[in-house]
Parts: sequence; C-alpha cells; structure tokens
Amino acid sequence: MNEEVIIAKGLTKIYHRGSEDIHALKDVSFAIGKGEFAAIVGPSGSGKTTLLNLLGCLDTPTRGSLKLNGTEISGSKEKDLVKLRRENIGFVFQQFYLLPTLTVRENIELPLLFSRRNGYKSQIDDIIEVVGLKSRAEHLPGQLSGGEMQRVAIGRALINEPKIILADEPTGNLDSATSHKIFQLFQSLNSKGLTLIIVTHNLELAKSAHKVIQLRDGEIAPKVSSRALSKKARS
Amino acid sequence: MNFVTLAIKNLLRRRGRTSLTIFGVAIAVAVLFSLLSFNSGYEKQLSGELDSMGIHILAVPKGCPYEAASLIIHGGVIPKYLSNSDVEEAKKIDGIEVASPMLLHQFYKDEKPHIVYGINIDDMRRLKPWWQVEGRFFSQTEDNVMVIGRSLAEEEKLKVGDVLPFGPDKIPFTIVGILERTGTGDDEFHFLPIQVAQRVFGKPDQITTIAIRVNDISKISEISKELENIPDIQVVTMTQVMGTIMNLVGSARTLLISVIIVAIIISVLGIMNTLLMSVNERTREFGMMKAIGASGLDIGRLVLIETLFITVIGGVIGLLFSALGSGLIEGFVKGIIPYSPTGKLMTPDPGLIGLCLLFSIIIGFVCGIYPAIRSSRLTPMEAIRSNLE
Repeated sequence: MNEEVIIAKGLTKIYHRGSEDIHALKDVSFAIGKGEFAAIVGPSGSGKTTLLNLLGCLDTPTRGSLKLNGTEISGSKEKDLVKLRRENIGFVFQQFYLLPTLTVRENIELPLLFSRRNGYKSQIDDIIEVVGLKSRAEHLPGQLSGGEMQRVAIGRALINEPKIILADEPTGNLDSATSHKIFQLFQSLNSKGLTLIIVTHNLELAKSAHKVIQLRDGEIAPKVSSRALSKKARS
Repeated sequence: MNFVTLAIKNLLRRRGRTSLTIFGVAIAVAVLFSLLSFNSGYEKQLSGELDSMGIHILAVPKGCPYEAASLIIHGGVIPKYLSNSDVEEAKKIDGIEVASPMLLHQFYKDEKPHIVYGINIDDMRRLKPWWQVEGRFFSQTEDNVMVIGRSLAEEEKLKVGDVLPFGPDKIPFTIVGILERTGTGDDEFHFLPIQVAQRVFGKPDQITTIAIRVNDISKISEISKELENIPDIQVVTMTQVMGTIMNLVGSARTLLISVIIVAIIISVLGIMNTLLMSVNERTREFGMMKAIGASGLDIGRLVLIETLFITVIGGVIGLLFSALGSGLIEGFVKGIIPYSPTGKLMTPDPGLIGLCLLFSIIIGFVCGIYPAIRSSRLTPMEAIRSNLE
C-alpha cells in the first residue's frame, strides 16, 4: 500500500456569518497516498473549496484531524502553516493569478523569494522546459494565451519541489483542446510520482483520477466509480 | 529577484496612480521644506541685515520708536526729526565710538520709490568698514556728488562719472562711486553728504536718526539710558528692532504654519487612502502570494517597501521642486509677511534637506504601516475565496 501523505479524520469546518453557523464540511474522512491522483468533485456549495483550503494549509479545521506528511494541521499556528505550505504544497488556481509585470521566468521564480531558497538558473530553466514555455520565458503574461498562463502557474507551483500539487479548477478557464494539453501535463507530473489533488467540475478530468472524493452538502457522497463518472461525462 | 525589485515592478504596474501619489508626497515635502527653509533663512537674514548695519543703537525722534527704527533700517521715512545739536549731545556721552547722523528722504521716479541717505561718509565708513566702491567715496565737504548702490546702478543703467538731475530742483549730481554689492538694502540707495541732502530736500538742521556704535556692547543699556536723557531722543537697540520685527511677522508665520500643517495632514490622508485602495484591490494577489509560500510578514514588508519608495522618491522630487521654485515661493511669502529683509531668504541647508527626507520616510511608515498590517493579516482563504465557490 502507498504511503499516505494526507489523512483526514472527521474533518469539520464551521463558518460563522453573523448569528448563523454555516457547516461547510461535516465529518469528512479520507486518505490520499503518495503519488496518487485524486479529484474532488461536487456541485457548487458542496464544500470543495473549503476542503482544498484545509488541504493546502490555508485554513485549519474547526474539528477533526488532518495530517499532512505526518504533521497535524489542526490547531497549528499561522507560522507553522506557512512552513508546511512552502515545503509541501504547490498551488494552481483557475484564474492563474500571475503578476502582470513579471516575465514568465520571474513569475515561476516568485515562490523562491518567499521560501528564501536560492533559485538555480538551471532549475528554473528545467521547469520552464517541463511546462513547455522555453521560447516564452521572457514574455509577460499579457503576451500569453490562457493555456500558456496556466502552464506558468503550474511551473510556479513546481519550483519549490512540493510533494503535493493542489489545483483548483485548473482547466475552468480554458477551451477543451487547451484543457486536454494541461491535463496531459498534470498526468505526466503525476506519473513522475507527484501527488495531485484537483478540484474540478470537469468529469473527463475526474474520471482519470485514481480516487474521486465527491462532496454534497459538506459531506462525502457515496463512492463514485470511474465507470459511473464516464457514463455521466458522456451524457 | 528580491523584495525591492518586486516592489518596483508592482509600482510600475499602476504608473498613473503611483505618479499621483508621489506628486502628493512631493508637494507636502516641498511645502514643509520651503516653510522651514524660509523660517530659518528669515531670522538669519534679518539678524545678518541688522549686523551689517554696524549699528548697536538707533536714536530716533520721540514717538513710536520701534516701528520707526524698523522703517529706518529698510529706508522708510518718518515724519519727525532730530537736530544737529542732538548729535553733538550724543557724541558727548562716554562709551560711544561713532554717532553718525542720517537724513532719510524718499522720492518717486517712474512710480518707483527711491531712497536717499544723507550721511557723514567718515562715520559711515567706520560703521561699515566692509564697504567697497567702484570709483571713489565722496569727501564730506564735496557738493553735488553721490555714491549709489550696485542694484540701483544696474536698474537705472548708471555708471561712475554719470551726471543726473537730482532733487526737486533737478540739480546735476555726479556719481563718483558705485558700492560693490553688499546683499543688503544699501544696494538700492543713493548716498549723499548729509549737509547736501539737508539743503537739496529743504530740511536744514533736520536729522532722521543717529546711528550709534558703542565701544563695549555690555554697556548698551547704560548708554541707552544716558541717551534718553536728551529731550528729543528715544532709543531703540538692534535687539529690540529684531524683536519688534519678529513680532510683526509672527502672526503671519502662525497663519502660514497652520495652512501648511493642514496641507500636510490632507496629503498624508490622501496617500494612506490610495495605499489602502491599492491593498484592497490586490487582495487576491496577496492571497495567491500566501498560498505559494509568503508569510504575513513578507506581504507587510512588500507593502511597506512600496510605500517607502513612493514617499522617498516624492521627498526627493519635493526638495527639487522647492529648490527650483524657491524664487516663486519666496516672492509669494514675502508678499504676505509685513517685513522682509533684503537678500535671499531660502537657502539650501543640508540639515533641513536631511530633516525633510526623514519626514518623507516617516510619512512612508505612518501611511504604510496600517495597509501593511491589514494586508499581512489577510487570510489567504478569504483573499481567494471570492473566485472559488
């Protein structure tokens, strides 16, 4: 059995909005193994984002236990969460969030500034090559297509050599041909041993995952087989 | 890449807004520098002007002595007079080194006021040993000759040897000398032997003031008391003149300072508002930065570096503004203040430049610290959630 990099037990997250309590996640438990490709699916408001934020150490659960590489996140201080993020997580967003005045190379290099690691030129070059942007390295984001921008964001997520890539709707803003290419890039990264967790509405993408976590109203819905997802995707 | 290059690139992203904010800081610093520079320059120049008169005491006719003295040192004319006998009385007092009578007269030529000093040249050269002349000084017994100030010569295009019709009867006077520039009111005046001035302007035996220098300045108050025993005389010391003038300008300066403080507060609030807006607009960006490994401290540091860049560049530009526009500012302030000494009041002082740069850095911290704290406390989840579910 694969070594488990994420173990969630009874994860609960409650937000307080005025006098109202919103139960974004209710008693969610699962585990994700090293090198696994997991998809988190579910309708809007089902708790996908909340779960992604918890997995990305951007927030802590109200109750329950969440272990990342054996480290308990529940009750951790912001300082420790920052360290965990830097060492373990690479984030990819739907909206890319590239800094428009930085070149492709500089955007990819940005996390090194925060992690105080010296970025070796060769390491940055390697990543630019992995994401297929060698000829665009000195271009600004405004000069790139949507697919290229997402490749920059993936390169940025890889620069700190994370153990897990968390992607939020990474193909949500892309046409189907570009989505397919980005998906292939993710698959190739996963095949090299990187753990991949993707929040998606894209059932084509979800059906290729080793594990699908389907959320509904903050809870894990009954297990979904890849076959069922394929059927749903075709319909 | 480091935080400084990242901050610069961020600022270049919003060139229009960055330029306007820098301009706001520049105005605040320029205003502050001009005021402080004017303030210190004013006192320095005024005390320099009083020193350059080489006079410790002015004996003036009785009645409103301080205002009279203030007018006299700037070439103003008062309608009361002393007499030659008062000068003789004054000269008898022990401890007086020089007691030099002066008659001041003002006339208008082409609607411009001209000031005439009737003087005793030997006394005057003892009071003002630094006086240099192109041509020569007149002797006290000469008639129809004059020495003029350098600025006056330039304005009227006069040179040594020129003869000009002078006085109500247009008597021809020869310019025997032009004073080398003194940087004081003397540059603007006509100087005549006193008895000639008394005759030409129909004021025989009349004297506007007696300029007195004492041997020992610690005896000024004793000598002043003795001078006041002469019936017509009222005594004004230069210290009193300085105090009177500083009082005269005090209220105008208070008003100026109040306006400037309000201007600076408005400027600081404007800068802070702009920075807060900028931080709010970049919420998602900061959220992304946190997600890719930035700590709250990193974000706060970035915002603070950006702010300091704006304020320090603004400070330097403000100082350049005030250096280039000092003539305009000086002209404006001189128009408001009731008395201003001759010469340049705003001179660059390294201490003041340092103080203004420090002020711009402080503005940077004051304006930047709150947005920096706000952005550093932003939870990444809040920052990027708006785009998720």
